[in-house]
Amino acid sequence: MDTQITGKMLDLTIRKRQESLKGTAALIYCGAVLFSLLLSAALLIFQGNSPVEGISLLLQGAFGSMYAIEDCLIKAVPIYLCSLGVAIAFRLQIWNIGAEGQFALGAIGATWVAISFPGLPSWAMIPLMMGAAFLLGGAWGVIPAILKLKMKANEIIVTLMLNYIAILILDYLVYGPWKASDSYGFPMTDEFSSAAIIGTIGETSLNWGLLICLLSGIVIYIFFKFTVMGFELKASGENVRAARYAGFPYARLVIISMLLSGAFAGWAGFVEASATLNRLQPTIMVGYGYTAIVVAWLARLNPFYIGISSFLLAGLRVGAENLQLELQVPAAFGDIMEGMILLTILAATFFIHYRFARRQRS
Amino acid sequence: MIEPAETVIALEGISKSFGKVHANRDICLSIRKGKVKALLGENGAGKSTLMSILAGRLQPDSGSIRVDGVLQRFPSAKEAIDAGIGMVYQHFKLVESMTVAENVFLGQEGGRFLNPPAMAAKVRELAISHGLEIDPSATVADLSMGEKQRVEILKLLQRRSRILIFDEPTAVLTPQEGDQLFKALSHMAAQGKSIVFISHKLGEVMRVADEVAILRKGEIVEEKRIDEVASQDDLARMMVGKETFLTVVKEAVVVTKPVLEVRDLSGNGLKGVSLTVRRGEIVGIVGVAGNGQKPLVETICGLQAPERGEITILGKPWKTFFSQRKLSETLSYIPEDRIGLATCPSMNLSDNFLLTTRKGFRKGPWLRRKRVETESRSVVDRFSVLPGHLSSQARHLSGGNLQKLVLGREFFRKPGLIVAEQPTQGLDIATAKDIWGHLVGARESAGILLITGDLNEAFSLSDRVVVMFEGKIVDSFDVTDTEKRSRVGLMMAGAST
Repeated sequence: MDTQITGKMLDLTIRKRQESLKGTAALIYCGAVLFSLLLSAALLIFQGNSPVEGISLLLQGAFGSMYAIEDCLIKAVPIYLCSLGVAIAFRLQIWNIGAEGQFALGAIGATWVAISFPGLPSWAMIPLMMGAAFLLGGAWGVIPAILKLKMKANEIIVTLMLNYIAILILDYLVYGPWKASDSYGFPMTDEFSSAAIIGTIGETSLNWGLLICLLSGIVIYIFFKFTVMGFELKASGENVRAARYAGFPYARLVIISMLLSGAFAGWAGFVEASATLNRLQPTIMVGYGYTAIVVAWLARLNPFYIGISSFLLAGLRVGAENLQLELQVPAAFGDIMEGMILLTILAATFFIHYRFARRQRS
Repeated sequence: MIEPAETVIALEGISKSFGKVHANRDICLSIRKGKVKALLGENGAGKSTLMSILAGRLQPDSGSIRVDGVLQRFPSAKEAIDAGIGMVYQHFKLVESMTVAENVFLGQEGGRFLNPPAMAAKVRELAISHGLEIDPSATVADLSMGEKQRVEILKLLQRRSRILIFDEPTAVLTPQEGDQLFKALSHMAAQGKSIVFISHKLGEVMRVADEVAILRKGEIVEEKRIDEVASQDDLARMMVGKETFLTVVKEAVVVTKPVLEVRDLSGNGLKGVSLTVRRGEIVGIVGVAGNGQKPLVETICGLQAPERGEITILGKPWKTFFSQRKLSETLSYIPEDRIGLATCPSMNLSDNFLLTTRKGFRKGPWLRRKRVETESRSVVDRFSVLPGHLSSQARHLSGGNLQKLVLGREFFRKPGLIVAEQPTQGLDIATAKDIWGHLVGARESAGILLITGDLNEAFSLSDRVVVMFEGKIVDSFDVTDTEKRSRVGLMMAGAST
């Protein structure tokens, strides 16, 4: 029978990988990011710019100076918190794409405390703002969880729609009841009292939000590794049937993961309102909640890698701004690159699970 | 016995093993033009493996396939389809949102543009000429299971398949739909198609088949024309085989209070099931698969709620028991689906050990990781799970080792009731003996409900044997009752006792 094989044809088939990859996986992902950079370079050529100059301006703008790196870190803080939250829901295979809305609600909660009780000292003000951001952001996450459990509503649709509702609520507040008297018609609240503003660290422009990130990351790591509930969340995400078999309280897990997911995004909103803008205004919504999804995916939901990829994607934002100034490329360029990174990463996951093999034909 | 001239496909000496388990051993089988061949065997007898080989989805370790007398190899499903072999799976592969005609032509539209009226006309013609009436413009999602099956058959006919393989086709059908299917099968056979009919339902086989081949433990034990088979009972005996007792040492254990009481359980395919399991005994449920064992087990183990009737587990009503689950003195379920239900394949061994034992390692909200390591280490060693690297993923374990891990974990909880479902299916004999030993030893502190398709296993382990047929318990007897034991095949086939 085998002797009948006369020649090999270049005929590819797809085979499932039997062994799990370790080092190769990292290589595949690096290759994916590199590939998206190449695609971006191609886009630059298309616009009549030099790709080498463009990419180097991008990198220079992001990481070329101390000031640039500080800027990246400042932007990485809200991205990190949103992404950490998103990753908790993703662990349970709940597709929360509502970090943007949960971020908005967190900012609203923190602002409410700041402008309602302007006289509070900072030791009371900051924890109260964080508490309000946690509760409102968390509630915005729990709504889709309840709808999913009670009405079987798809959480992707619900979380996405809640984003628009959240942004409209924010707009209503800053255009209406919360509008500052001295804003000359601009939609913004009064500036927060100094007690409501998270200070900067030493001589740098970095704020203490960085510490919140660090602590949150450690807490989440410990939560998943050393608590019973963290274990139950992880295991349910791996195999829902096994979770039912082992008697896990699945509904409770869904609610809690979405509560935490929304709460961390809410904290990101708090940090942005307090440290970056010192008030609430519509420009607070710059899409960190969506970037967080890319970051979580890039980092394979690991809190430590989320830190690295938050920093890199924040760098992409900063670098793209520089590119915009220097080469007059459209502002959307950064978003396009972010999208391309997500797509190439998703495409790369295919190669983690499958490989091409040559088919032998008789 | 078989005239070679009519043979369309001949399997010669096909063998296939998975690890130490021989799924198929030296199988010879011929499929003939215009005949319905039934392939009969219990779960795990090797029917599906054999048909997967024929459909090009698995490669045999040795042996060959001849199509019209010419040696052929099927490196993938495509080659098998090209050779005219088509398969109707138990789980239909249809696009629910598309019409019947679109599904039939899916992937073979034969051009860039569709011509819906022509497609519909072609499907209607095919349907009428094969006795498979259906509306070509209906949306598949709106069809009944029987109609969906007809669409699957039409797909094969459209591809000009000459050999049609049906994998337990009546499992999803109502009796009326089953009758229609049988008519269609005879019709197609009369038109020169060859039909392979996989089943473990004896009545169907007697009705529809021209020839029957019986598989047992991966081997063909009988191949006959249906007019050579005296009766359904005859088939049952061939399928089950002779009793060969296995040596399981069973020391006498005192039987005490009941740990499981089921009263008049109905619904979900069950019809008034009542049974009792006491501490110290093994009750074996036997029966051909699909006669209510699955819903019974899933209801007892809390995966589905009882519709009617009562269940008392370790002295507590079903609802109370499952709302206040405890770690020990509890129910341990050893499911048939080890990889999909009992474990998380991509988690490591100690995390899999934790799945059901986590309550024993909690201290407030914390998990006592150190103790988890030492306890899972000792379980892995005691049950000789190999390779026993705690940090390696469960998916890398073989079926037998995975089962030993599950068993070790469940025994660690010191259960009062153990439900073991096909505990040795697909395992090699050495591992099976290990597992039998563990189950017999567990009687000291637990009552055991054993669900198995393997009569030898049931007879050598059980104290009492319960026979299920069509959702009912047809008989229940002491294992020492040799007279009843000799008639168990008949009972499983639904013959009145």
